[in-house]
Amino acid sequence: MFGYLVRRLIQAVAVVFAMSIIVFVGVYAIGNPIDVLIDPGATQEIRAKLIAQYGLDQPLWRQYFTFLTNVAQGDLGTSMVYNIPVVDLVFSRLPATLELVFVSVCIATFVGIPAGLYAGYRPDSAAARAIMALSVLGFSVPTFWIGMLLIMLFAVNLGWLPSGGRGDVASFLGIESSLFSADGWSHVIMPALNLSLFKMGLLIRLTRAGMVEAMQTDYVKFARAQGLPDGQIIRQHVLRNISIPIVTVFGLELGSTLAFAVVTESVFTWPGVGKLIIDSILQLDRPVMVTYLILVVVLFVLINLTVDLIYARLDPRVRLKGGA
Amino acid sequence: MSRTTLKTAVAAIALLAAAPQVFAEDLVIGLRAGPDSMDPHWSTLGSQADALRHVYDTLIDVDDKLQLQPGLAVSWEAIDDTTWDFKLREGVKFHDGTDFTAEDAKFSIERIPEVTGPMSMTLYTKYVDSVEVVDDYTLRVHTKGIAPALPNDFTRLFVVPSETGMEAGNEEFNSGDKAIGTGPYKLVSWQPKGDMELTRFDGYWGDAPVWENVTRREIPDDAARVAALRSGEVDLINYVPASDYLAIKGDSDMETFVSDSVYILNVQPSVVDEEPQPITIDGEPVDGNPLQDLRVRKALDLAINRDVLVNIVLEGLGTPANQLMPEGFFGYSTELPTREYDIAQAKELLADAGYPDGFEIDFTCTNNRVPGDAVVCEALAQMWSRLGLTVNAQALNGTVFFPAAARKEYTMAMSAWGTLTGEAAYTYGALVHTPDEEKGFGNFNRTMYSNPEFDEVFNKGAQTLGPDARKKLYEEASFIAMEDRALIPTVILQTVWAAEAGTLEFTPRVDQETRAYAITPAE
Repeated sequence: MFGYLVRRLIQAVAVVFAMSIIVFVGVYAIGNPIDVLIDPGATQEIRAKLIAQYGLDQPLWRQYFTFLTNVAQGDLGTSMVYNIPVVDLVFSRLPATLELVFVSVCIATFVGIPAGLYAGYRPDSAAARAIMALSVLGFSVPTFWIGMLLIMLFAVNLGWLPSGGRGDVASFLGIESSLFSADGWSHVIMPALNLSLFKMGLLIRLTRAGMVEAMQTDYVKFARAQGLPDGQIIRQHVLRNISIPIVTVFGLELGSTLAFAVVTESVFTWPGVGKLIIDSILQLDRPVMVTYLILVVVLFVLINLTVDLIYARLDPRVRLKGGA
Repeated sequence: MSRTTLKTAVAAIALLAAAPQVFAEDLVIGLRAGPDSMDPHWSTLGSQADALRHVYDTLIDVDDKLQLQPGLAVSWEAIDDTTWDFKLREGVKFHDGTDFTAEDAKFSIERIPEVTGPMSMTLYTKYVDSVEVVDDYTLRVHTKGIAPALPNDFTRLFVVPSETGMEAGNEEFNSGDKAIGTGPYKLVSWQPKGDMELTRFDGYWGDAPVWENVTRREIPDDAARVAALRSGEVDLINYVPASDYLAIKGDSDMETFVSDSVYILNVQPSVVDEEPQPITIDGEPVDGNPLQDLRVRKALDLAINRDVLVNIVLEGLGTPANQLMPEGFFGYSTELPTREYDIAQAKELLADAGYPDGFEIDFTCTNNRVPGDAVVCEALAQMWSRLGLTVNAQALNGTVFFPAAARKEYTMAMSAWGTLTGEAAYTYGALVHTPDEEKGFGNFNRTMYSNPEFDEVFNKGAQTLGPDARKKLYEEASFIAMEDRALIPTVILQTVWAAEAGTLEFTPRVDQETRAYAITPAE
């Protein structure tokens, strides 16, 4: 187990390292951030001075080397646009994204899995057909479009919910979150629902497929023959057996939602990291881009690791290699 | 219903009835872009100046047509070729209660080179050699050489107290500790890309603004900004997208405010000997660069139907342009005729130049910098194809376009340019003058256009202090450059704001700023 973890961590560091090189070369290939940022009235002299000030006149390898040296000293750089440390910048926005993702994952799980179970348990019922039709909509209609529809309906026409923003942030046990205030919830519910639709659709279909298959297996038949109630069979046997694909997809989706909630964040003006990264790309704010992408890599590695550990817990046949 | 609940209900209804008056004192504005920092000396970005103007005053102000107005300086004059005197306003207080004096203005000028970022503000102090405090209310600026445009540069010179200290950085300003100015509003809070909260400063020297509290909310997504206005979450939005403009204009509940902006879309034909993207006929590169021939540039110009660009492509949100600045700016040439559309004459000129069957050319532009840039780009390509050219139009993200444009990789490009200082030296000096590092001219000359006649007239202007004589010279320079089609201006873009009908009075500005203190409730 321990050896397995160590190997996974070494792997992670290698991936992060490779990623940083790819990002660095990519940004370097686009061109000089100063040419995007500089004011049109600036003279050649001012331009040259700026390029030197940010070390952009150095060859690529030296810029990269400087970056690595700084990282080794715990300095991930300073945003060129905001002039504040990138870590502070990203972490000031991360809570907003986390709470959005948290709520949307909860909606997807607590609506998607029961709905999928039902649709698989009674596949021919009208309700099951309706659930399946909705799940197709969930992942075939573009997010921004559903987002705009939600805003037009609930914010503009009905006036029930605010059209954007994060709302009041309250503090509870030292954690600051808009989930601790009613106003915050009124802000989060619509974007979270919007963000959850795709995942909900996936979860419904995966759960249903697993359910339909499991209901025809021998162990279910025997359990039924034994006289166990269906509810107990589903909770104790079926759910456990069909969870592996669900956990895998759930993990992957969690990662991509965290990293790329950008569309929903833009449509609902949610002040999360997704919007930050898009702005940074448009302005070629190199330190923010590099740090953010590296964070995303770390995130995916961690999620995959967690998913693998959950596998082992769910299914004893899965052995973690390297363990002993 | 018990008596107490009844009382509460009555009180609540009374409160609700009184609510409109309470809300009338607050204003919420939805903006496409906000500031990058609360440090007024960090960046020259337009959205930065727009926001910080509420907290800090500039030495010299500009009106809605970019004409100079007194700000913290009430008057200014050049006392010799390299010295300017500024008379400062008396009785001005900073938000912390201290008096504003010449010492603060001097400190603010000297602080700029120490703290500025990649959008360097040093371009506003590049002519400053040294600053001298004559007395509390007189500031003397010694310049490097003759600097007739110094007052224009100082329209972006935000003043902070001299106690701020050179070492104060963005973090001290963003937290509000150092965000102290003399402006009409005090900063309550701000976070990058978040809301900027302001509250009225009672000790302000000018007219007190109407709104007690102002929130400037950043909503970059166009559709989300319009939705925020429609749902009543914000009172006013800027940059109404062209796609929503007609719908909002036709809606009796909504009101739009439209103004010409300073931004003009210019075609930049590269006149270098060997063009970076080859111009071809039947796949074979042509000899020399056809764009060097004035007849070809004239033909390109004559083939542009500016009325179609304005009325159809931009949904009416534009004005035909015949030079690089809007009318009324310092150095705008009144001699230049309105550009005409004449495809027959254009074809003739092209045949005269030796290209009766046209040629194939690449044409690159931005697609996200200003509203309408990509559609105008595509429309131009079609107009030129009627002239017989094969035009490969490519609209790129500004992130890709600008670095490549700086490397001069485009044979023919189009981008927007705004004369932010309201005078010709800024625009013609940067775009048209022969590149000259020593003089600091031609720094944005992407076409490598060079005309000694233009340079001579322009330089004479830059060396002339008398405003009338200088204006004449700049007008002449504008005329020469435009007759020579150094660049081909197409349309002046317009900016649209929108609010609920009958709620606000607002005079739109050419610099696109949304000044909360200049907005009043409708009568």
